[in-house]
Amino acid sequence: MKRRPPSADDSIDREIAFHIDELTHRFIEEGVPPGEARRRALLEFGGREQVKQSLREVQTWPFAEHLFFHLQAAIRFIRKAPGFSVAVGLTLAFAIGANSAVFSAIDAIIFRALPFPESDQLLVLSQRNTQGRDTNPFVAPVRLEEWNQLNSTLQAVSGYYTDDLSETSGPLPEKVTEALVAPRFLQVMGVSPALGRGFTTGEEHWGGPNAALISYAFWQRRFNGDPNTVGKKLHVDKYSYTIVGIMPASFQFPSRDVDVWCTSAPDAPFAQRRDATWFTVIGRMKPGVTIQKATADLRAVQSELGKQFPKPDSQFTVDAVALKETVVGSIRDSLWLLYGSVTLLLLIACSNIAALLLARTAQREQEISIRYSLGASRTTIMVQIFSEVFGLALLGSMAGLLVAAVAARGFHRLADTLPRATEITLNWKIVGYSLLVAGLTTILCGLIPAVRGTRRGLASSLAHNSRTQVSVRNRLQWTLVGVQVAFAVALLLGAGLLLRSMQQIARVSPGFDPSHVLTLQVSGSWAETADKDALSARIRRTLDGLRTLPGVEADATSGTLPGASYLYQLEFKVDGKSEPGHPLYADSRYVSGGYFETVGIPILLGDPCRLSSKTLEVIVNRTFADRYLNGSPIGHQLSRAEGDFLPTAIIRGVAADAHEEGINKAPVPTVYTCYSAPGPFPNYLIRTHGDPAVLADAVRRRLHELEPSRSVYAVSTLQDHLDNSLAENRLRTLLLTLFAVSAVSLACIGLYGTLSYLARLRRKEVGVRLALGALRSQIVARFLGQGLRVTGCGCLAGLALGFAFSRVLHGMLYGVTAVDPLTYAGVAALVLTIATLALLFPALRASRVQPAKVLRDQ
Amino acid sequence: MAPLEKADLLQGTLDLLILKVVALGPVHGYGISQRIRQISEEVLQVQQGSLYPALHRLEKKGWLEADWGESDNGRQAKFYRLSAKGRRQLAAEEETWERLSRAVTLILQTAR
Repeated sequence: MKRRPPSADDSIDREIAFHIDELTHRFIEEGVPPGEARRRALLEFGGREQVKQSLREVQTWPFAEHLFFHLQAAIRFIRKAPGFSVAVGLTLAFAIGANSAVFSAIDAIIFRALPFPESDQLLVLSQRNTQGRDTNPFVAPVRLEEWNQLNSTLQAVSGYYTDDLSETSGPLPEKVTEALVAPRFLQVMGVSPALGRGFTTGEEHWGGPNAALISYAFWQRRFNGDPNTVGKKLHVDKYSYTIVGIMPASFQFPSRDVDVWCTSAPDAPFAQRRDATWFTVIGRMKPGVTIQKATADLRAVQSELGKQFPKPDSQFTVDAVALKETVVGSIRDSLWLLYGSVTLLLLIACSNIAALLLARTAQREQEISIRYSLGASRTTIMVQIFSEVFGLALLGSMAGLLVAAVAARGFHRLADTLPRATEITLNWKIVGYSLLVAGLTTILCGLIPAVRGTRRGLASSLAHNSRTQVSVRNRLQWTLVGVQVAFAVALLLGAGLLLRSMQQIARVSPGFDPSHVLTLQVSGSWAETADKDALSARIRRTLDGLRTLPGVEADATSGTLPGASYLYQLEFKVDGKSEPGHPLYADSRYVSGGYFETVGIPILLGDPCRLSSKTLEVIVNRTFADRYLNGSPIGHQLSRAEGDFLPTAIIRGVAADAHEEGINKAPVPTVYTCYSAPGPFPNYLIRTHGDPAVLADAVRRRLHELEPSRSVYAVSTLQDHLDNSLAENRLRTLLLTLFAVSAVSLACIGLYGTLSYLARLRRKEVGVRLALGALRSQIVARFLGQGLRVTGCGCLAGLALGFAFSRVLHGMLYGVTAVDPLTYAGVAALVLTIATLALLFPALRASRVQPAKVLRDQ
Repeated sequence: MAPLEKADLLQGTLDLLILKVVALGPVHGYGISQRIRQISEEVLQVQQGSLYPALHRLEKKGWLEADWGESDNGRQAKFYRLSAKGRRQLAAEEETWERLSRAVTLILQTAR
């Protein structure tokens, strides 16, 4: 289109003015006096405004051309009704903000690719025992190499495991997390160092030079980001490494904590056993290969290996999972639940605002009919209404972005619970999303009022026939309110069920006493496991040293903390026999002798286990004893169904059941093996007389005396660990409750507003009724009844909605079913009560009409 | 002869008249209305309320091009010109009109 100077409207004005001037000119030439000529010209031209309007409508982009004009009008409208605008703006700010915030989390955690090139090609490969239920996913180094050589669908296979070690080149030993990686690690990840180089082939083989890559964070922390760090030496554990490269800041794999990457050579002499498993295996698929194809390929490779090495390879198969799935899998359901909730909240807000606007357009009927009579088209008026709503939605989404920005910071604090939390940022995508939501909100909020409010017939007939038209509109308005109540009830139902679960969890007695227990770890290396006796002796020495500290009542080590999910299930044999068809599965935990005393699990039968050098002793829990050994297990021999590095053990006693797997999981059959050194860095548990945190310093000092070259880390209390293990649970419940409360508040505002509006419309009617002898209580009951009927219908619909979606909560509940009748009844009662309160005020106000005054006004 | 009302003009005829008048040379809206009036010997009087929407519509269709220029009396006016596309359209519409009027005339003469 041609450029029109300076605006379309102006151009139209000038064109019309020119025409009228020329006409005037002609009349003057015909001899008409100037004033009269002008008048005639105007008359002949006719409805100037109508011509202008139809010319505007001819223009290519009527909406865009007039957006500014409409927005200006919208701003006028917003300023004219500040209370209304602030209410709508705040509602939208909260609803859009919460929605954008949760979306930013979903975008960062679920949608966005992992920060590695072609990250969808990355897989985690694990071996699975097809014959038993042994849940050891780790892979032997030799097998990793075979998978790498024999497969045809992967570019490369690598693996890693981590050690928590001490770095001793500084004045004090510092704990570093070292990732020991198989060859081709950087090739699989597709990342190269930001400075320096990756590992050479020589460094990846046994006997090659010791080389290390360090993380960006470690480089900053330990070397102040010195560019000459490459080439310097690092003393980790007993070894000295040359720093060959610094990884980019974005590279935090396998975890955020990794400071150093070193090589673990699969051709090392100690790595040749096929049952020595330690690698978590990762692989990169060739382009175009699907996970199914890769899995099938690797399974074929493994079954080939099974023929070659029947023991143990014939019992393994391979599982492949996308790397991203292992990172975000657990949190996905929670996030979608929250997203569903905030979307419901947004819908409630929209229908709330739609109802408010409907009432307002009813009040603006006169304004709208004047616009019609001035020649405005229906489109123009609808555009006007939409732009008013859009103005509010835009304000709302801007304020909402602030909410989302604050929330993003909040998410960062949850980095321990929430995977990829630090990747959540407020970026242009989120801004775009919130604008999109604002647009959709505009349509949702504005459509009904725009269509309803601009009915030409309505506008003209209203003056004569207000009663019937009003009742139609009321039905629509009540429907909108009912929808709000239904959504709010559904949300409240979800929140109620989660709250009930939390309550049930709080009621659970964990079976151990988490108070007054300090927990910590001491650095160590998996290499120490080569000499198990020395490792045991070292740990025993440390335990003995700690026990003499004043304030320490008992201490112990354990492979995993009580209350932390572990689920390392093994199959056992009693007295060397196993009944076919009745395998004995049990959770296997390694603890030192003082464990039961330290964490307060009572021994029901027999003795606490002792660390004896002659025979290995185990304690079983009550569930194990009752289920497998008729309650009298003492003296029986217990061994692993398949080869184990531990010899046959004797059952020494029975411990009470404890919620070892987590407070929200029921106790399972458990075998506690008395062995203080299941790994190089077990958890130390120290029962203290007073506040465990107070003793932490003394414990640290004592440990430094005992083990000057090791570092102490992960100092915490058992209670904190338990609390943290429920953090995701608690956060989910908290957020859903917040959304539900907001939803109920909005629904109540909707009820209150609609009834107030309705009561105002029917003031005359009420006045007449009162004058004719109706009781005020009857009026109140009438209005209240109308509101409560809607609430009741909404409640029923909401309960049905909640029931239909109850499966969403599956797996997030504890101690209640997703269709818990108590929760359903409670929610219904609560909503009805609050709704009654919200309705009571307008109903009472309506009944306080002065009949005389109303009738006089008539 | 009494002037015809705008409703008496056949649908689409106004477009044809405008295109034809503009084909004579660049002209502003007022000029178009005057020429139609004069050429038709005052039979056709185009209402401004129809003329301007039609002009803008034709401009949007790309049949007319418009520029601001100086009128005879030295004032700024919006001049319309026929575009190449408009010229083709005019030819097509003229032919359609010829056929239509020949057909109507035939019927009128035969039925006499």
